[in-house]
Formats: sequence, C-alpha cells, structure tokens
Amino acid sequence: MHDKGITTAAVCVYPARVCDAVRALKAAGCDIPVASVATGFPAAQTHLKTRLEEIRLAVEDGATEIDVVINRTLVLTGQWKALYDEIRQFRKACGEAHLKTILATGELGSLTNVYKASMIAMMAGSDFIKTSTGKETVNATFPVAIVMLRAIRDFFWKTGNKVGFKPAGGIRSAKDSLVWLSLIKEELGDEWMKPELFRIGASTLLADIERQIYHHVTGRYAAYHDLPMS
Amino acid sequence: MLQTTSHAQTYKRSNRVLRRSYALCPVAPPFGLEGAVLPFGPPGSFGQSPAVRGKRSERVMAATRTASRACEIFTTLEYGPAPESHACALAWLDTQDRHLGHYVNGQWLKPEHRSSVPCQDPITGENLASCLQAQSEDVAAAVEAARASLENWSTQPGAIRAQHLTRLAKAIQKHQRLLWTLESLVTGRAVREVRDRDVPLAQQLLQYHAVQAHTQEEALAGWEPMGVIGLILSPTFPFLDMMWRICPALAVGCTVVVLVPPASPTPLLLAQLAGELGPFPGILNVISGPASLGPVLAAQPGVQKVAFCGAIKEGRALRRTLAGWVPELGLALGAESLLLLTEVADVDSAVEGIVDAAWSDRSPGGLRLLIQEAVWDETMRRLQERMGRLRCGHGLDGAVDMGARGAAARDLAQRYVSEAQSQGAQVFQAGSEPSDSPFFLPTLVSDLPPASPCTQAEVPWPLVVASPFRTAKEALAVANGTPRGGSASVWSERLGQALELAYGLQVGTVWINAHGLRDPAVPTGGCKESGSSWHGGQDGLYEYLRPSGTPAWIPCLSKTLNYDAFGLAPPSTLPAGPETGPAPPYGLFVGGRFQAPGARSSRPIRDSQGSLQGYVAEGGAKDIRGAVEAAHQAAPGWMSQSPAARAALLWALAAALQRREPNLVSRLERHGVELKVAKAEVELSVKRLRAWGARVQAQGCALQVAELRGPVLRLREPLGVLAIVCPDEWPLLAFVSLLAPALAHGNTVVLVPSGACPIPALEVCQEMATLLPAGLVNVVTGDRDHLTRCLALHQDIQALWYFGSAQGSQFVEWASAGNLKPVWVNRGCPRAWDQEAEGAGPELERRAARTKALWLPMGD
Repeated sequence: MHDKGITTAAVCVYPARVCDAVRALKAAGCDIPVASVATGFPAAQTHLKTRLEEIRLAVEDGATEIDVVINRTLVLTGQWKALYDEIRQFRKACGEAHLKTILATGELGSLTNVYKASMIAMMAGSDFIKTSTGKETVNATFPVAIVMLRAIRDFFWKTGNKVGFKPAGGIRSAKDSLVWLSLIKEELGDEWMKPELFRIGASTLLADIERQIYHHVTGRYAAYHDLPMS
Repeated sequence: MLQTTSHAQTYKRSNRVLRRSYALCPVAPPFGLEGAVLPFGPPGSFGQSPAVRGKRSERVMAATRTASRACEIFTTLEYGPAPESHACALAWLDTQDRHLGHYVNGQWLKPEHRSSVPCQDPITGENLASCLQAQSEDVAAAVEAARASLENWSTQPGAIRAQHLTRLAKAIQKHQRLLWTLESLVTGRAVREVRDRDVPLAQQLLQYHAVQAHTQEEALAGWEPMGVIGLILSPTFPFLDMMWRICPALAVGCTVVVLVPPASPTPLLLAQLAGELGPFPGILNVISGPASLGPVLAAQPGVQKVAFCGAIKEGRALRRTLAGWVPELGLALGAESLLLLTEVADVDSAVEGIVDAAWSDRSPGGLRLLIQEAVWDETMRRLQERMGRLRCGHGLDGAVDMGARGAAARDLAQRYVSEAQSQGAQVFQAGSEPSDSPFFLPTLVSDLPPASPCTQAEVPWPLVVASPFRTAKEALAVANGTPRGGSASVWSERLGQALELAYGLQVGTVWINAHGLRDPAVPTGGCKESGSSWHGGQDGLYEYLRPSGTPAWIPCLSKTLNYDAFGLAPPSTLPAGPETGPAPPYGLFVGGRFQAPGARSSRPIRDSQGSLQGYVAEGGAKDIRGAVEAAHQAAPGWMSQSPAARAALLWALAAALQRREPNLVSRLERHGVELKVAKAEVELSVKRLRAWGARVQAQGCALQVAELRGPVLRLREPLGVLAIVCPDEWPLLAFVSLLAPALAHGNTVVLVPSGACPIPALEVCQEMATLLPAGLVNVVTGDRDHLTRCLALHQDIQALWYFGSAQGSQFVEWASAGNLKPVWVNRGCPRAWDQEAEGAGPELERRAARTKALWLPMGD
C-alpha cells in the first residue's frame, strides 16, 4: 500500500493553527493542503465584518481551503437573498482559496430548507457543500445527504458545474465510510468519487480503516495499540 | 428550484444504499455463514459424508477469496460481488435427498408413481431438486388431514392458538437465513428484498395474528371459523402471499390446505417448520401440483372456502368452474400497480417509488405510470438516469436490485414489449442483455396511443408504462379507466390535492408519497377485476369467518344447469281476470318514477287463496339497463352526501313507512300473513330503517398506525351500483333489511322485490318517489330468473346480492365472472330476516361497502 500515495485530502484546523499546520507540513515535506474553518465556527454568531476578516487572515496564513458556516438565522427566517449575498462575500474574501460551505443541516428544520440552502450555497460559488460542523447534536445523516446530493445533481444539470460534497461528524468506522461511498456512487455516479469532489470529514475514521486492512491481510483483528496513533 | 422533499421516501432510499454499500467493500465483505445448523432431524443427518462437507466449504471459500479483486475495486470503485452463501438451502434440500414431496399432517408425503418436475435455479439453470406433482388422491389426503385437525384446532381457546402462532414466528426467526436463501435461490428474487422485507414481515404477520387469536373470543364474538380453507397460489406470487392468507385463517381457527405451483420449496419449508412445532400438525398442509388441481381441491368434502391468488384470466375461469361448488371463493387477481405523479411531486422521491413498484423485486407485477405533463420531461430524464444505475444479477448477490424470474415471466414481458412497439410505443432500457440471458432489464414504455390494446392490457413485470395527463380530473379518468383496481400511489406535496386523488381512485390501497408499504394491521385488497378478497387487519380475519350458526354447507351443484338458457326469456303471461280490491301501484320504479315496462306486458299477482290481487309490470333486459343507468346517474350525488344526510333520509323513509302502516298491513294480510305478524313485520321494517340510519353516523374511519410515521385510514367506500334480488319470504321486511344497509353505505340500488308478493315493496316505492333523489333506488318487478340473468351478466353493476333458488345462486356465481363483481348468494336456504343476527347483523355491514386503505406518511 505504501506506493499508492494514499493521503488525507487536506488537514483541517482552527484559524489560529493555520500557521503551525502549514509549517509542520512543509517540514514533513508533503504538499497536503491546509484547510481552515472560519466565520465564527461553529455557531457563526459573530459580526459579518469579523467573519469576513477571519477568512482573509486564514488565507493570508496559508490556508488554501476555507470551511465557512452559514448563518442559520437567515435560513430559518427565509431570508434567502441575504444568505446568498453573505456567501458571495465569503467567496470574494477567499480569493483563490477553495470555499467549502457548511450548512449545519441538523439545525435547518426541514429537508426542504436543506435543499434550498444547498442550492443557494452553490449558486453563490461554493466549491463544496458540507453537511455539518461536527459540533451540532445531529450531524451527517443519510436522508439529509440524499437531499444535498440531489441538489448537487440538479445544479450540475442546470449549470454544468460540479460541486463537491463533504459529510462530516459521526463517521467513525470503515463500514460507515463505505455507505457514504455507495451513496455518492448511487446518486451522483463515479465522476464524483474522487477527492476533488468528495471528502469525508472525520477525525477518528483512520484507525478503523487501518484495522480493517490489517484484518484483511492477516485474518486477525488488531488491537488499537498494534497500529500507530493517529 | 423550489423543489420539496418527502421524508419517508428519502429515508427509505438511504436504507437501500446502506445495504448495497457492502458490495463496495473490498476488505471485509459480509459473507454467509458456513455450516448453518438445520432445524430438522438429528444433528448427524446432514452433510452426509466428510467428502460432501469438504466440498461445500470449498465452494464458500472460493466465494470469499476475492482478494485479487480488492486492489482493483480500490481503483475502479466498481461494485464487487457480495454473494450470500446458499449452502444452508442446499443442505436443507439434501435432507430430502433433493427430492421434495408434499407436507401433510406434519409429515413428508412422497407417494410413488407420480411425475416430478425439476426445481431449477432460474439464473444458472442448475437443477436443485425434483418436486413431486400431486394427484387427486394426494389432494384428498391433505384435505382429510386438515379436516381431521379442524375440530381440535378450532375448539382450542384463542390463547392457545395465539401461542402456537407465536412459536411459529419464533421458529421462522431462528431459521430465517435458511428461509431467505432458499426463497431467493429458487425464485431468483433479490435476496435483499426477501431478507429485509419478506422474512421480517412473515414474522410480524404471525405476531399480529397471534394477538388477534388471543382476543378472538371477545372481539369476534358472533363469528365462527369457516372450516377447511383451500388456498391456491400461482407461480408469480411469493411465499409471503401465502403467509398473508394462512395467518388469519389459522388465527381464527380454520385449517389450511395450500396448493402451491410446481417447484416451490419455500412453502414446504414453512409447512415443515409449522408441522414440527408439535401438537397441531395437520393445520397447515402444503401440496405442490399444477393449477388444474384447483377444482379438485375445491371439490373435496369439507372445503369451506377457496382463496386464489393469480392472474385475472385464471381467476375468472376458476370462478366459472367453481360456481355452486364451494360456499366461498376469494379472489386476489393481477399484480399491476399504478403510480400517479403530479407536477407538485418531489420527482426524485417519486422515481424511487417507481423503482420500488416495478424494479425492486418487491412487486410481482408491472406499473402504470401517469405523469402530469408539466413534469414529463424532467421525470423521464431522472427516471432514465436512475434506470442506468439499477443492477440485474444473481438474486443471492446482496448488491443486486433485480434478479430473474424465470423464462415464463421473461417471455411475458418480451411479448408485451414487442406488441407495444408494433403499436407505436417507445421503449427504453438502460443497457442491453443478450437474448439468451435469464434477465429482463428494467423497461420503460411510453407514447402508447391511448386506445391501443397494450394500454388496456395488464402491464407485466418488470415494465413501466408511462402516459401523460394534464388535470387531476383527467388523471382520475385515466387511472379509473381500467377494469383493474389493485393498488396505487399518489405523489404530490399538496395534501389537499393528494387526498382528493386518493379518494377518487377506484382501488383497494392508496399510498401518498410512498409505494408498496405493507403492514399486518392494514387491510390490503382490491376492487373491480382485481378481486374483492382482503388480507391483513380486521378485513383479513372476516375472510375466514362466518356468522355463528350458519347452517352447514350442503353441496348444491346442479350439473345439468344450462347457463346459456337460465332465465333467458320470461314466460309469457296472459290476462287472468279483473283485479279485486284496490289496485296496486303499477309500473317499474326507475329513475324516481313509475314507468311502463319495455315489454309492455304485465304479470298477475295472486294472494294466498289464489285469487288475483293485481297486476305488476313485467320487467326485462331493457328495463334493467335503464335502471342501472339511472342508478349510475344518482351515484355521485348520493356518495358525496354526508352520513348525517343519509341518516336523515333513512329516518324520513322510516316515518313514511309508519304513516303507511295500515295500508302495508292490509297488503300483507291479503297475502295470507296473520294480522299480528303483519303488524310486527311493518314495525320491524321501520325499526331496521332507523337502526341503519343510526349506524351511518357511527361508521367513521378507523385510524390505525402502522410501521411508518403517520396514520393509515381505513375507509369504507360505497360499492357503486348494487343489485339486490330479494327473497320471496318476508316480502316487506327482507326488502327493507337489504335496502337499508345498501343505502346507508352510500350505494345506489337496483332491486327485484319478492316474486310472490311484490306489492308492499311497490307501496314503499310510492313514498320513495317523493323522498329520495331520483335513481337512488330502482325497483324492477318481473320474472325473477330472467331479471337475475340480466343483472348477473351486467358488466356495470358493482355487486349483486341474490336470495333465491340454489340454481339461481349457481347461475349468479357463474355469471359474475364477467366483471368479477362480488356476489352474495343464499343457495336456496331461507334466512331468518326477523332475527337481528341474520336480518341486520354485521355481515350486511361488511358486504355493503368496500374497504380502502389510505396511507399518509408524515414528514417534511
């Protein structure tokens, strides 16, 4: 497996740690992009001005991907135009960096809202739409994911632009990750099954994948201490 | 842009993906367990020799060694194989030496000198076992076993029966892998559906009906089990259809003989599981044989009801053959479903509904798809895109959507496709299959001209025939414009519109924004040519019950009855002298007024002394035609009346009858009824009208909560135009007792009054002329046999109640095969109309309306 060049798609950190992350990765000699959460993660309850500044600073520090959180109030009160304008401003602030928009679907109230918010995030120029921050009580669920994926497909059919999808929160086992892979394959097709268009936001998944591979090779289940810490 | 999303379907879709994800798994695929323990026989009896055992493990190991593909799957991200081992199914077949007989009275029955047919894997064609074909003697043995165990089983307390059913549910739970691998292996259906839906549902059915058995003494007091039930299954129906019917039958105390098509081992396995539970071995007997044994089964002494599920054509033939043979025939025919997609639907969810309905191995039939024109293009695009992702393959592969159903099903589909193409249809299939492949790909047929034969014909599995509509009214006209009335779903995010369509559809089951949901507590059935038998819920129980004290069934088959000649023409009647006393009202009461009969002739009515009482009009075929038309015209108005309005009208009629009491009493007296009895008859008639008026108010809709989030409404809808041939006895009371429940349930009526004494009924018509809307009740006098013939053969009458001779009953049953209208006949047995149970009992209520189950999932 060593020669397959398998890495994570990015390293995602809080804004204050972007500098450290960039430095550490450089020292390790790898070119994995650094992603930063921004815009008052995870609640997005700060002034718009602050949120925009946060994006700019993270980009300045070397983050090439920015995960922004949408303003849930705008969704729940139906201010779709205002939501669009905000995400447009985030987009501008990102400059060259990739924009991933977190919808925090666990707090949007209905699947219809999830669909609308997905559409608006894509119309405003997001490169990815992401289910959740991982901090809400309800994170990435399959029904929500299906709605978002269908929105991505509709957007692609209407505009020809492929937007990526990233579920996050609660994905802990190799088995879970397979379900997500199937979901993408079923709803969007093989074109989406690559890191540029599909990511899994998971901080605890790696160990389980390693254990499954260990089992496949040796026929035995590994203890966590048999594998390096991740 | 403002797409909305229905929650239930989205959730279901995610579950389906979850199951399929195993196939993407290059690392640890969930293979079947080797060496499953079989439920039967001593431990050493399977896996005869170490050599055989070794061989079997080798096969499974071969399946697990997909390692070489693991790397490939990582790069291509294609689905790998996710095979389910069928070792335990083969091991079970081995216990029978790959030679299956019948399962009767708790034992395998393998008579000698019988022909056998091979049971094959429909995909590989591999011979799995040979199955003996039953002959008449085997059928007789099975019925004898069921009859012998009936007394013991039906007299057990409900609690004991409940325990037994629960134990069977447990037995299924313990051996479910064997059950699902066997079923998937021999039917070729995708294991996913069998394992995740059929097997759990089979257990739920047993548990639900165990509860019903437990409470039977209180909840179903006044009803008794019918006796031995003969169930005939046709090849397209899976074992679950057997479960839907045997569970209620066993629960209420009947015993069952199931005739399954050749080469269906799963019902035999179930019978074995049930038989080996112990104390009641003979309650479930399964014999396999050709469908031609159906009449043989029906003719066995003791068989009280025959239930049949199969094709409409077969059902119709069976109805004709069995006329006069069995007390009851329950038909569940056809497998086509309907999906109505409006412009305010969540199209993606509806596409999943279409997959559920036609391409998921869940439904045995095809689908008629009606799409509102505004979303036609979008639906077609999404549907075709989705079809590209469906996978056909070996049923035992966990990542397969559709298996194969054998050559017969494939040929049927192929024939329909070729005919549709020749009639101008467009046919879409994603991909292509070689002509010798066992699979038939999901197929979408569109652009069929509305009047082409294929549009009228039943859509076979796995076809979807799409046609457009513009307005809701048009959708209903198209949807109802078929002789079939099974199930349908309505897709609309507007509740008001969805409900209006759901109420307007003439079918047995309607799902809103979902398709194919099932629950043991929800009645499932149909109307029109889909047959009027029910399974599930209370309605399913009544299929196997009869009112307590119903006299024993005496076969009254008249082999000499000439169906072509019965009642063909009324005998001519001549003037018999002048009328004495007051002349009765003259004419046929049709469309709200008295009319002269088409034949312009009359028949004399004599009193008990034989002296002429008066003349009544001689009705004929044209009068029946007119009466049915009048009834149809009145139907929409009467159906839409509120229960309160119906009750008020029945009470008004009761008051009118009371006013007319002296008149009616004297009419009855002249007919030879004692004064006291005549008075009682009129009083009781008044009471009946009032009682049914009151029960209208109480009908309501039962609300049940099934597996889904949201309610299921059990609606009781009018049958439509109901024809009633009244008995000769109790000329006024029987007339009123039959008329009142029919009206209370919203039917319009064409009625033939007592032949000997029609005059009281005509007197009542004089009141109805002023009280009731025109056409609601139509009364035609004349020769009973002739009028019965006209009614029974009429294709636009929705149900027929006949109280007359045994021959007439047999004719009615035979003739009803035309439009498969439900009939209720008395076979010449008089009924105690003055008794509450027989004259106004719940049986009338059950027969006077039909059920519709309306599923309303919740969620946004």
